[in-house]
Amino acid sequence: MPHRLELTGITKAFPGVLANDNVSFSVKPGEIHALLGENGAGKSTLVKMIYGIMQPDAGSIAWDGEVVTVANPKAARKLGVGMVFQHFSLFEALTVLENIALGMDAKIPSRELEARIRAVMTQYGLLLDPHRTVATLSVGERQRIEIVRALLLDPKLLIMDEPTSVLTPQEVEQLFEVLRKLAAQGCSILYISHKLHEIKALCDTATILRGGKLVDTCDPKQETSRSMAEKMIGAGLKDIVRAEGRALGKPKLVVSRLKTEKAGHFDVPVDDVSFTVKAGEIFGIAGVAGNGQNALLDALSGEIRSDDKDAITIDGYGIGLLDTTGRRKRGLCAVPEERNGHAAVGDFTLSDNSILTARDRLGMVMMGLINSGAAKTYTGKVIADFAVKALGPASTAGSLSGGNLQKYIMGREILQKPSVLVVSQPTWGVDAGAAAAIHQALVDLAAAGSAIVVISQDLDELRALCDTLAVINMGHLSQARPVGDVTIEEIGLLMGGVHGAEAHDAIPA
Amino acid sequence: MTPELLVAIIVTVVGASTPILIAALGELIVEKSGVLNLGVEGMMLVGAITAFVIVFVTGNHYLAILLAAAAGVATSLIFGFLTLSLSANQTATGLALTIFGTGFSALAGQGYSARPVTLLGPLFPAEIATHPMWRVLFGYSALVYFALIMVVAVWFFLKRTRAGLILRAVGENDLSAHSIGYSVIGVRYLAVMFGGAMAGIAGACFPLLLTPQWAERMTAGRGWIAVALVVFASWKPFRLLAGAYLFGLVVTMELYAKAGGGPLSAIPSELWAALPYLATVVVLVLISIRRDASTNAPACLGKPFLPAN
Amino acid sequence: MQFRLEKRREPSKLMTYLTPVAAVVLTMVVGAVIFSAIGYDGIGAVREIFLTPLTNSFKWQDLGVKAAPLIIIGVGLSIAYRANVWNIGAEGQYVMGGLAATGVALATYTMTGWWILPLMFVAGMLGGAAYAAIPALLKTRLNVNEILTSLMLTYASVQLIYYLVRAPWKDPMGMGFPQTRRFAADALLPNIIPTTIVHAGVPIAIIVALIAWFVMSRSVFGYQMKVVGAAPHAARYGGFSENKTIWLAMLVSGGLAGMAGMLEVAGPFQRMVPGFPTNYGFTAIIVAFLGRLNPLGVIFAGIVMAITFVGGEVAQTTIGLSSSATGVFQAMMLFFLLAGDILIRYRIKRVVPVVEARA
Repeated sequence: MPHRLELTGITKAFPGVLANDNVSFSVKPGEIHALLGENGAGKSTLVKMIYGIMQPDAGSIAWDGEVVTVANPKAARKLGVGMVFQHFSLFEALTVLENIALGMDAKIPSRELEARIRAVMTQYGLLLDPHRTVATLSVGERQRIEIVRALLLDPKLLIMDEPTSVLTPQEVEQLFEVLRKLAAQGCSILYISHKLHEIKALCDTATILRGGKLVDTCDPKQETSRSMAEKMIGAGLKDIVRAEGRALGKPKLVVSRLKTEKAGHFDVPVDDVSFTVKAGEIFGIAGVAGNGQNALLDALSGEIRSDDKDAITIDGYGIGLLDTTGRRKRGLCAVPEERNGHAAVGDFTLSDNSILTARDRLGMVMMGLINSGAAKTYTGKVIADFAVKALGPASTAGSLSGGNLQKYIMGREILQKPSVLVVSQPTWGVDAGAAAAIHQALVDLAAAGSAIVVISQDLDELRALCDTLAVINMGHLSQARPVGDVTIEEIGLLMGGVHGAEAHDAIPA
Repeated sequence: MTPELLVAIIVTVVGASTPILIAALGELIVEKSGVLNLGVEGMMLVGAITAFVIVFVTGNHYLAILLAAAAGVATSLIFGFLTLSLSANQTATGLALTIFGTGFSALAGQGYSARPVTLLGPLFPAEIATHPMWRVLFGYSALVYFALIMVVAVWFFLKRTRAGLILRAVGENDLSAHSIGYSVIGVRYLAVMFGGAMAGIAGACFPLLLTPQWAERMTAGRGWIAVALVVFASWKPFRLLAGAYLFGLVVTMELYAKAGGGPLSAIPSELWAALPYLATVVVLVLISIRRDASTNAPACLGKPFLPAN
Repeated sequence: MQFRLEKRREPSKLMTYLTPVAAVVLTMVVGAVIFSAIGYDGIGAVREIFLTPLTNSFKWQDLGVKAAPLIIIGVGLSIAYRANVWNIGAEGQYVMGGLAATGVALATYTMTGWWILPLMFVAGMLGGAAYAAIPALLKTRLNVNEILTSLMLTYASVQLIYYLVRAPWKDPMGMGFPQTRRFAADALLPNIIPTTIVHAGVPIAIIVALIAWFVMSRSVFGYQMKVVGAAPHAARYGGFSENKTIWLAMLVSGGLAGMAGMLEVAGPFQRMVPGFPTNYGFTAIIVAFLGRLNPLGVIFAGIVMAITFVGGEVAQTTIGLSSSATGVFQAMMLFFLLAGDILIRYRIKRVVPVVEARA
């Protein structure tokens, strides 16, 4: 039997980057094939070429043994390629049915389409109301729309791009069931991820990319997570260096009964959130995206102000009424999840971006006038200390890669020596080297006596980094537990909103 | 109030609201595709002068309407090229288009002022519209019926057709529409051209339906009111109809006040003249107080489409 | 051979300054071609509109007088547009500034004193700022689009002039003309260069632009305007209130438009007339863009626009071209400028097609 998909010598260049360099591998019918690599390794570019969104500069794609040109996504779907994107291509204001209709190339009367949707949903246990507006659905439900949409086309190859990054562990297990069922029926699956344990649990074959080049094609069940990780990263993994036997200090950041108003249609506010972070402690907040993390960060940073002075205190001093500037002066710095446009201004130089948050703490303003020399000096220091790849303080933030921009932003806040630092998704989309550097900087800051709050969806990151862990779900924060005491299953249940009796009752005042 | 006067008022209201309605329907489609074209006023002026010149030269009203639509499309393509092909700022480009339309129409209309043409007559033969009651239904020119048909057509297009669904999808999330494989730029070009055609026809209403002559800036800000109406109607065609007739009423009151007599003339005529604009502000305020008003706005409205690759 | 746009790593500074110049040059070239094509003397029109005002030294004073209000309003708009506040009702704020100054001039008609002009100056700025406060209030409180409200108020303000000069402020000795009295001597702007029409507004415009440049490039106020305009979310994170910024942007741009209105009514017009709104407020939108929203650039853009105004008048008398041709040239210039903007972020690259190119 010919291979379902065979790539030979695929090469694709962008200005300044070779995204794919002579990549060749093949996928058999009914095979679950992992495409493994770090962010920026070239996985997405490769997949976009298979799906016809981009064209390769060189190399060929063969489908069932015949060389084909995939001119556009429509041609890909015609071949039998289905795709579930990492960032869903859904339309929030439209209904499930309308969303699926948009993804169909043939014009099907809506009644017939609805019947077919219901049939597919029942067959794979993907339950959804076709007439609901997408905006009202959870992330997991939205992913089901994407999967149903792809399955309606009877795909022979289903591409899943980082499908589990937004799911709870339980939802991940359900998804794997669906995928195994599909594979058993002969559908090939190309599964893109950087989560090694998932790949070991699910996939038959793994192709590993690094820096655009194919490193290895192996059987993940024969490999250890560590051996695959080393192939992916290319060097021995560096562990976080922690001072041994350090003791936590006095409570530094105390949050009590913090809540926010519902700001918009899609906003999830936080309700009655209380926790304490001691000096030297790294406090992790896990949770599926869209459960109030953004509101929590804004409420802590001061973008949303509380009407209760003592809802947030630093060393006993109430800062609830202060705005971001006031809170920074009291020692609280924050890094939101969205880098470009929230934590930094893409069109501004790095120097001007330093003025954004460091102007008062580092004396860059005198009588309403900006001391641009001070901003430049400080920015140079951030670039040097955090190994930011940039031409200099005059580079625009938008010209930096995601990982470098994140290093700059983290450096900009950490070098201000905040006594409390709140960060959301500190290593989202950052390569392993940069992630390790950021983690080390956070650990060092904590060791120097700061209290740190890390909001993240990456459980592995939180478990490696934090002393204490709590889970946010629908705007509620679970009880905090020492990180060594909780299992993945427990966290998973909390993320899905299933609270144990203990967690449910004990909300500290 | 006699039945005759009432009929006369209704006929005037319907006439005065027709250009606003046509232009607003065009802009509604443009905005639903995620594009904000503030050049409606300019495209209307280009349509108005085109219609005037054609009717002045040929006497053929329907040819005038057709060519006004074509002129509107041509003008809208300037906007389309700049904002869609070159990703220029939509607000600034729309303003530039209005400045251009104002200047171009004034230049082209040089020497045509104070030259009369004939208005477009009623669509149905006069025998049908003898009774006042029948005049209310059958006494209008084709442009009025065109506007009404387009209300239904736009509604049907958006709600019931696949093309309408694609248009809404493009306005709602351009990147997703692109990744599924729809041509965002193509859909938006078509929408902008439709908006141009409608604005051109709306402009043609001024010399063909309202005042049978050419005057510089004769659309007097009605294009801007049409843009405001789309917001007022929260992007719904039938609400647009109600809003347009409301403005027709305000304009008609001004006309009656100027004609003199009655309690209306106690108020300075300048206030009447300012009333449509002030009413627009008031209406925008009222619609903003209703909290859900903006939730119906297309999510990508006014933002340039910048695909990652 | 094919051309492709390729994203630049950094926005091009060179192109930022080059595209306005290119826009002016292209407007002259394309304008000449188009005007020739539709049966006018295209080259003559471009010569008269763009060059005569520069070569004829008698026209220089006209240039200064026309450029002054454009620069003052354009500076205000450039600040507002930086903050992404789309005040397009500067014409109305200009009118209200002129009316407020007229009110002071008429109320003090029988008085004398050095203080009258400064009082008119302040009244003009307050009048413009107050009129701009309406869209600011509606935007910040109810999120009403400022483009539509500021423009609608412009149409209303013109009617207010008509009413005032027809009834309460009408010149009793005016033989029925709808206009106010000519202002008393102490309410008129002095000429600063004898035997010319150059009034105090000309140096004021330059000073306003220089101050604005300093404030925008060096102060926290300028930073606030720019950051709110570039990334409102980041601005909030940096501790800048969006509503406060909208208020500031509206009041500054309205106040400057009002200042220009005062200078015009107390300078060239010397009284309020129905023809007072002369589109300075709208043309200043082009000035602000052509000046790259930079107060120093606005000085040059204001002079370029003044050239087209003065040249338009020249062309009208010498070759009989309608003054509305000026508007077409101005709009064309803005089109070319907006089209050229893409070159700041992208470069044009010649490509030899390997595979079928995709849009």
